Amino acid sequence: MTDAKLEMFDDVGGLVEGEMSIPTNKNTQNIGKPDFNTLDEPIRDTILRDLKAVGVKFAHVLFPKEKKTLLKEWDLWGPLMLCTFMAMVLQGSSTVDNSNDGGPEFAEVFVIVWIGSMVVTLNSKLLGGNISFFQSICVLGYCLLPTTLALIVCRIILMVEQTPMLFFLRFTVSMIGFAWATYASMVFLGDSQKPGRKVLAVYPIFLFYFIISWLVISHTNT
Amino acid sequence: MANLQEVPTEELLSFHDYPAVHTSTGPQNTSAQLNLTQDSFENFSQQEEIREPLEDNPTNSASVKSFWTLEYYQQFFDVDTKDVIDRIVASVTPKRDNTLKYHLRDKPDLYGPFWITVTLIFTIAISGNIADYLHHASPQYHWKYDFHLVSYAATAIYVYVLLIPFALWGFLKWSSDVSDLEGLESGTTPGALELICIYGYSLFIYIPVSILWSIQINLLQWLLVLIGALVSGSVLLFTLLPALRLSRHKFVLMIGIMSCHLLLAAGFMLYFFHGPTGSPVVDTPHNSTKTS
Repeated sequence: MTDAKLEMFDDVGGLVEGEMSIPTNKNTQNIGKPDFNTLDEPIRDTILRDLKAVGVKFAHVLFPKEKKTLLKEWDLWGPLMLCTFMAMVLQGSSTVDNSNDGGPEFAEVFVIVWIGSMVVTLNSKLLGGNISFFQSICVLGYCLLPTTLALIVCRIILMVEQTPMLFFLRFTVSMIGFAWATYASMVFLGDSQKPGRKVLAVYPIFLFYFIISWLVISHTNT
Repeated sequence: MANLQEVPTEELLSFHDYPAVHTSTGPQNTSAQLNLTQDSFENFSQQEEIREPLEDNPTNSASVKSFWTLEYYQQFFDVDTKDVIDRIVASVTPKRDNTLKYHLRDKPDLYGPFWITVTLIFTIAISGNIADYLHHASPQYHWKYDFHLVSYAATAIYVYVLLIPFALWGFLKWSSDVSDLEGLESGTTPGALELICIYGYSLFIYIPVSILWSIQINLLQWLLVLIGALVSGSVLLFTLLPALRLSRHKFVLMIGIMSCHLLLAAGFMLYFFHGPTGSPVVDTPHNSTKTS
């Protein structure tokens, strides 16, 4: 019986030590104190703390320097906000005479963002990248921020009468958003692959943001 | 942790020695085992049984993986940047000596076909929109983009890249001469996965071609259709030639493969890149609503 147990422990090797050290750390930190509980604090504090975490992540996307901060604690609130906002702005409105203006439906934008980031993540997992599934989805979602900002700018430009000059301006803005998003996600996700496969993992990310930027440029309905 | 501490240290030590015997070099260990367990042969044969699966594991692990695990699919994505580039280059350079086949020989991947088809779908949708815009380039016409070209392109491409290889695979199985069983065994008949891979890579040439299709010159568009279909179609034929030779209906198959490829190219060009006034084929519902 003990042999069987030992065999099991020996298989996993170093992993066991790592997992066992976690509870001891927690105990030493909170010694003598009751466990931290969100039930005891006002709702305002809870919401503000979460909002602050989202805001810090947004700041990291806009100024991508540190590599680990965005990866440490993933959440999907930021991506959800960005994705919902983009889908609301980008959706094509069908008019009375039943001629759709050609834009994507709300759900189509949603599907492109979520399924797209899942496919990109799955691709990097299949290539052998060492990153957890939701961490990667979190990073890809948060890196939509530059394209969302580009969409807001484009929406403002669209309010005035359109000229070729203004189209060129919208094009430039979306391209900057696209380059920024791709660069930021490469900073956060780039070193999770083997060097020989970096391009293979980066190309889908590039394509993902390119498609979203195409939606941003093409969005013209007023 | 508590369990580990209860175990006596001697037992722990002896256990740690135990796998070391099996993982280090085989022949020396067997001799050592022989010396140790001369008196009890049963024990030795038991050890042998334990060691065999240990040694077999690394070689078999790829095929043993369950269908539902991520590791099962990792074998289809086991490529480096260099491999993919080599395969793409091979797919646009028709040579008699089967370069694409040579590159695919050991392991067909799904990375290339998947991302080539996705890229092609969006390239066609984007440049199709550009072509439509160029066609209506006049100040009084309020042009609107059509996102749903993506859906049409995706349907067409995925039908082509999944159905045709499966149909071809079935047809090759059915029509191959039974007398040539040796040929079948040696692997000249490609598997369904290999066919999908070949077809996926053969679509690569349409990515640059579809960007060029947005230039609205009729002659140039048709020329590109012919060039694209001929170049990648001939790569397809050269790659599949060893398998086709075995078939009883090889000429039917060859003509079928080429005409499907040409039809796909012509279909793309007429549907997505030709102005509504050009050809009657283009007068589809979504185009007519746009012009109204």
